[in-house]
Amino acid sequence: MSTGNDNSGERFTGHGPEWRDANLSPAEAQKATAWVEQVINKRSMEVNKDRVEDVRDAMWELEKDGEIVVHRITDQHAPRTAKTIYGWDKKVPTNQLWHHKSCGQCGNIPGYPASLLWLMNEMDISYLDETDQTSCTAWNYHGSGIGNIVSLAAVFLRNFHQAYVSAKAQGLPEGHFYPLVHCGTSFGNYKEVRAYLLHSAELREKVTKILAKLGRLVDGKLLIPEEIVHYSEWVHMMRNDIAERQTIDVSNIRATIHPACHVYKMVPQDAIYDDNILGGNRVAVSTGIMESLGTQVIDYSTWYDCCGFGFRHIISEREFTRSFSIDRKIKVAVEEAKADVMIGHDTGCITTLDKNQWIGKAAGKDYNLPVLADVQFAALACGAHPYKIVQSHWHASATETLMEKMGIDWQAKKVEFENYLKEVEAGKFESLYDPRLAITSGPGYKPVKQLANG
Amino acid sequence: MAHAHSTRIQEFIGDPVSDSPAVGREQLEEIFQDIQKDIRFDHELNGCLNCGICTATCPAAHYYDFSPREIVQLLWTENLEGIYDAMQEKIWACAQCYTCAARCPFDNSPGGLVMLMREAAIKHGMESAKNVLRPFSRVMLKLISTGNQLSPDMINADGFPDWGPNISKVDAPLKILRKAIPMPTLNTTETAWEVNLTTSVELYTIWEETGVLDQLETIDENLYDVILDIMDEKREDLEDWEEEQADEDDD
Repeated sequence: MSTGNDNSGERFTGHGPEWRDANLSPAEAQKATAWVEQVINKRSMEVNKDRVEDVRDAMWELEKDGEIVVHRITDQHAPRTAKTIYGWDKKVPTNQLWHHKSCGQCGNIPGYPASLLWLMNEMDISYLDETDQTSCTAWNYHGSGIGNIVSLAAVFLRNFHQAYVSAKAQGLPEGHFYPLVHCGTSFGNYKEVRAYLLHSAELREKVTKILAKLGRLVDGKLLIPEEIVHYSEWVHMMRNDIAERQTIDVSNIRATIHPACHVYKMVPQDAIYDDNILGGNRVAVSTGIMESLGTQVIDYSTWYDCCGFGFRHIISEREFTRSFSIDRKIKVAVEEAKADVMIGHDTGCITTLDKNQWIGKAAGKDYNLPVLADVQFAALACGAHPYKIVQSHWHASATETLMEKMGIDWQAKKVEFENYLKEVEAGKFESLYDPRLAITSGPGYKPVKQLANG
Repeated sequence: MAHAHSTRIQEFIGDPVSDSPAVGREQLEEIFQDIQKDIRFDHELNGCLNCGICTATCPAAHYYDFSPREIVQLLWTENLEGIYDAMQEKIWACAQCYTCAARCPFDNSPGGLVMLMREAAIKHGMESAKNVLRPFSRVMLKLISTGNQLSPDMINADGFPDWGPNISKVDAPLKILRKAIPMPTLNTTETAWEVNLTTSVELYTIWEETGVLDQLETIDENLYDVILDIMDEKREDLEDWEEEQADEDDD
């Protein structure tokens, strides 16, 4: 399309010297490229591929052949069924969940997992949060290249095996708890790894040796989960149950969603879509809960863009991260969508979009857009304490302006929290669950009978 | 004009005006074979018509001299010199968002292919990889020795001055703030959550068995030595604990 700009013949487009400007007017250019807007960023663009397969078919075959054991989602997990992008069914367990924590959330945005657990408590959902879990190691891998498909697969199988056996520490059977993955990158990485495991006998052979050494096989076989489930999918399936517990009217809130690339662009055939949510053109999670809570979800032109996290870039090349996040996401959400908040569902995105706004002031880009995870917003709307539970003080962005618009007296709540900190300093501790359950083996573990006796 | 000594850049990428290649054909082939033999290669590279959808949608292409289309083309056409050249800098620009993969009509994964090239760059001890990963060493130390990628004490105003003067808007010691998180696993400062000793030793076994420690030794020998010391100590601690348990069981 024509830019109409006089650039004195200088070109940076890489098209070569034979390239000529079409000299279209803005209206003509719009007409010429309108077809792009019909398909770009839309679901149709994702579903026009030939080589798409449901990897679960291979999983059932391997189980039938006796090569693997599948950790099944059964009635005890109270599953609900969602539709993925191709209309396939995906079972989402809603009870007896093993929290596969996110290192970025726990280290940096602790109100993210705390809000999730708080909501589960509100709905009497049973879960386990324990110390026998490693990071998925995929943040490091995607940032540095240190790691490989075998190490990623071994970590995946180790953590999911632990989820499978974890309930034994409470005298409950194997398979009682089902893993719920908090981090978007863990979720995407585990799904990629699962596909390679199911297709490669060579990879299975390599990791079987390692898992045997760790004592993490089931009947001598690899354990593969029936579904890999992200917490945002649990929130999505529970959205109406959550909305029933809402205590704050949020219909005045204009929300923009930033969906995480590793949630819906990695193994996109597994992402949940719903024809009733943004016309089925956007991944349904997060938008679904925000609509159920009654906010106005505003679509915007850079919805499909990544946040700029970059894995390596957020740590050692932050000029890229902050430029991309401010110019392509925050600025658009504020100027185009007039948003009150940007909602995400992944560790890296929330960190990037939240933390990188402060430096924007140096370049006259002081957008001050609150950034929260969907589950933090939901907890706030259901009356969770903004500091004790939602832990909003770790957010660099202006969460206070959002709370004011929601009618939350954040200053009074902050004073409450500061007083609570004094009690904590004196030894008080409030927990969302019995702390003794957090250690299921190894140093510090107390068997169930001792636990029962206190 | 002839130079008695080559410059640092010439050591890395060769002399741009010289006819002789930066590295020999044999090494170029070895690098390509390493990329190609990964089980993911055939899945992630299926053909390319140069449509450029991947580059049009790539966040890194907005800011860097980087094009996922070029990466795919280099691998598809087996342009060994071009692959080697791209491994010096370009592959490190990729933000690993996989937007390219989601959109490619051929179901290629340029982002996935970049990872295979990064792994090969590390395996071959490329100076460019060592340089680019130097600021990442703190993260690798944390991850490999604890099983957590990052920890609360790593995030401070000195390390992240562009994130503002206050990591927390409530002024209190980090330890107290962490104790005020209502999840017992998160009452930590040196790891994101408390990782059981047996868990971190299990992860370390995975690193050993999968060649990750070899990668680390190639990239940063000092870091490798530090990690070995830490993990030896952890293993000893675990063995001591296991012996204590065995003694208690005997009693």
